Amino acid sequence: MDQFTQTAWLIPLFPFAAFLLLTALGRGYRRAGVLIGSIGSLAALVMSLLVFFERLDPDAVDYSDGFKWIDLGDYALKIGFEVTNLNALMLVIVTAVSFLVNVYSAGYMKKDERITVFYGYVALFTFAMLGLVLSDNMLVFYIFWELVGVCSFLLVGFWYARPAARAAAKKAFIVTRIGDAGLLLGIIVLFWYMPGHALDFSSIHNVFSEGQSGAITMSITTSIALLLFMGVIGKSGQFPLHVWLPDAMEGPTPISALIHAATMVAAGVFLLARTFDIFEASAAAMHTVAYFGGFTAIFAATVALAQNDIKRILAYSTISQLGYMVMAMGLGSMTGGIFHLFTHAFFKALLFLAAGSIIHAVHTQNIQEMGGLGSKMRITAWTFGIGALSLSGIPPFSGFWSKDMILASALDENPFLFVVGLAAAFCTALYMSRLFFIVFMGKSRLQQPMEIRESSKVMTIPLVVLAVLSVGVGFVETPWNGWLGSWLSDGSEEVHANAAAIVASIAVGVLGIYVGWIMYGKGSIERGAATARVPWLVNLLERQYYVNEFYNVVIVKSVRGLAEGLRVFDEYIIGGAVRLVGLTSVAGGRVLTRINNGQTQVYGLTAVIGLLVIIAAIVGRRFW
Amino acid sequence: MFNIDFNGEFAAFFIFSAIMIIGAVLMVSLQKVVHMVISMAGVFLGLAGMFVLLDAEFVAFVQVLIYAGAVSILMIFGIMMTNHQAAKADPVKPLHETLAAIAALCLFGILFYAIRMTDFPDAQPMPAILDNTSGIGELLYTGYVVPFELLSVLLTVAFIGAIAIAKKGADQ
Amino acid sequence: MLPSYLTMAAILFCIGLYGALVKRNAVIVLLSIELMLNAVNLNLVAFSKYGVVPSLTGQVFALFTITVAAAEAAVGVAVLIALFRARGTVNVDEFDEMRR
Repeated sequence: MDQFTQTAWLIPLFPFAAFLLLTALGRGYRRAGVLIGSIGSLAALVMSLLVFFERLDPDAVDYSDGFKWIDLGDYALKIGFEVTNLNALMLVIVTAVSFLVNVYSAGYMKKDERITVFYGYVALFTFAMLGLVLSDNMLVFYIFWELVGVCSFLLVGFWYARPAARAAAKKAFIVTRIGDAGLLLGIIVLFWYMPGHALDFSSIHNVFSEGQSGAITMSITTSIALLLFMGVIGKSGQFPLHVWLPDAMEGPTPISALIHAATMVAAGVFLLARTFDIFEASAAAMHTVAYFGGFTAIFAATVALAQNDIKRILAYSTISQLGYMVMAMGLGSMTGGIFHLFTHAFFKALLFLAAGSIIHAVHTQNIQEMGGLGSKMRITAWTFGIGALSLSGIPPFSGFWSKDMILASALDENPFLFVVGLAAAFCTALYMSRLFFIVFMGKSRLQQPMEIRESSKVMTIPLVVLAVLSVGVGFVETPWNGWLGSWLSDGSEEVHANAAAIVASIAVGVLGIYVGWIMYGKGSIERGAATARVPWLVNLLERQYYVNEFYNVVIVKSVRGLAEGLRVFDEYIIGGAVRLVGLTSVAGGRVLTRINNGQTQVYGLTAVIGLLVIIAAIVGRRFW
Repeated sequence: MFNIDFNGEFAAFFIFSAIMIIGAVLMVSLQKVVHMVISMAGVFLGLAGMFVLLDAEFVAFVQVLIYAGAVSILMIFGIMMTNHQAAKADPVKPLHETLAAIAALCLFGILFYAIRMTDFPDAQPMPAILDNTSGIGELLYTGYVVPFELLSVLLTVAFIGAIAIAKKGADQ
Repeated sequence: MLPSYLTMAAILFCIGLYGALVKRNAVIVLLSIELMLNAVNLNLVAFSKYGVVPSLTGQVFALFTITVAAAEAAVGVAVLIALFRARGTVNVDEFDEMRR
């Protein structure tokens, strides 16, 4: 019964083969390229579903396999894959969203002449993400982590002719690199201290769980955990390394859906889940993680209130929801974090794809230039609404169940974070309803009159599928029937219903939608009221608390200054030394020219001097 | 080297070497070319005296005949025929001259050092030859007759060659 | 006694070398070369008397050297005269055709 689990290593290879084929095909063959990419991800999806169904069996055992890659003295580097319940779930998430994005892009990117390259990059990304999910030790994980970052760079900068896209791609890569440096240090420290230098996740689980760290002291454990968390901060967009995510919206919208909503940014949360034992062993690390997550959640939610670019609102929403996931992890509820990752993948991908559908129709991203689209783009509007309700945490949509689980564990462990989570939930509901009412309701405020039609089926069908998923997947884990938790952690997590949390989260969500309706839907409160009364607050929020400007002044300018100083050093000192060598040779040559002036006596003198030198050398050897 | 006894041989050696050295130094330091040749002739004569001191009378005579006679006159002929008065304003090359002087001094230093360090074994007594000339003649015509003949061929070739090169009709 | 003769010859040789390298008139250069050859002759004759195996061989050798030197001087002066006719000067500094 295990045959699919044992051949799970094939799953990443389908999109990888698609990538190779697409690269070989080149820019022509557009329809074939679309088909190849979609088939690759479909094959991966089918196989992931098969593996998932196998894992649903309560007797399923974790399976791992691998081979030895490099022998270094008494230590061997292994490459292998592992199939656990967590992995199987992630496989399904990644392949499902990837397949839907492949289908959607056939419509969205239809007019782009580099569409085959796009599909190639998407296939490569899918391969890397699947490899990351299946990896069984930290080193292979890190390799795929970096590869995912590279694919993000390639895809964000896909329209490289635009300087903003180029800059955004560089920023994404560099900022996540900072986090990756911390992650690498964490891996190195882990390597140093693990018995037998083993880096695979099962050894980590054995060493760190149940307080059996033994030889590894608490401070070392905390530092390992914090260094690993740095990688999470970078990749999953926590404060302060969140600045790359909004700029990464320069990439095509399907990419924003795939990478920056559902999968790559979830890799950080996935890392937290995989190495959860290390974090659980250190209370200090857990607190740090929880507070970072909570702060990010409320920070990003407030910024999203004042943005006017539809994709940026969704980007800050992603940052905020990632903050929720990280906070859940920090509060000890791994199930909560993974569950929210699961639901968030679907409804955020849905929101992004719907936004892409809107952008495709009206050719602008500024919500102040949209309006009244609800009547013209019905499917998009309905699916967007479902996604928005799910995000705001309204039952019975999936977002409610996962957010409620997080808030319940916050109420249990850390009431302060519970309040923070509630505030962020309020802001979430508010900005989503603001977005919905401005874009879909009211009068049209388009700059140029154009005919608005619903998008083609190839773009709307994925929306519908995702909407169904956004409704349905929530029921795998409710406070009364915690199947997911026990399945993920082999029955060691408890679940309990917390009425206060449920009531509070519903109330806050409804309140946010109501306020949004008043302000933006009905128009009872003037739209510009906030701007008129507290312009400084609105400005602060709109400029994202000036974080980017701060980084520019403090970090970018100083690095540029250092680079300039080094350039001057290189040009004048090192370049000067090189030029000096050249000048010396030329000058030496000029001096030697004088010996060769054709006069016999000069030649004779040179010969006599040479003779004397030889004699001196021969005679002098007696003394030395 | 310093265990010398002041006899006639030493005095003669001293005088002749003084003549030679003074002549040689004058040769390299005088200005007019003809004076240089005259001082050179003096060196040749001093050398002839040295040869007499060394019991090589025949060589001494030949030295006077050939060098102090023929070669010196030959050089004067050469000077006379090549416009010795024209080259007056010669550009001075101090670097070259200094280097050459230093090179010559170093060479002398090496040679002197070699001579000092060498342990010359005691000389066997020279077989007594009363007549130096007949002794050389015997040696020349019996043991070294082949080089002798070759030398005469060389001289023939040399003077024919000299005439051929220096003939006035060569440039026309 | 031998070292003094040898030293004498060395002095003459070095002075001749200096003259050969420094003098600008080609005839004087030839003359300096003759001086060097004379120094060698002195060496030969000194060894013939004070050497390890005293014999007349050294003097015979010296005779040969004198002969060859004289022949060489003659040919040398002839070449110089020919050169003078072609160039109009016997300044050795002017004969730098090998410069390029």
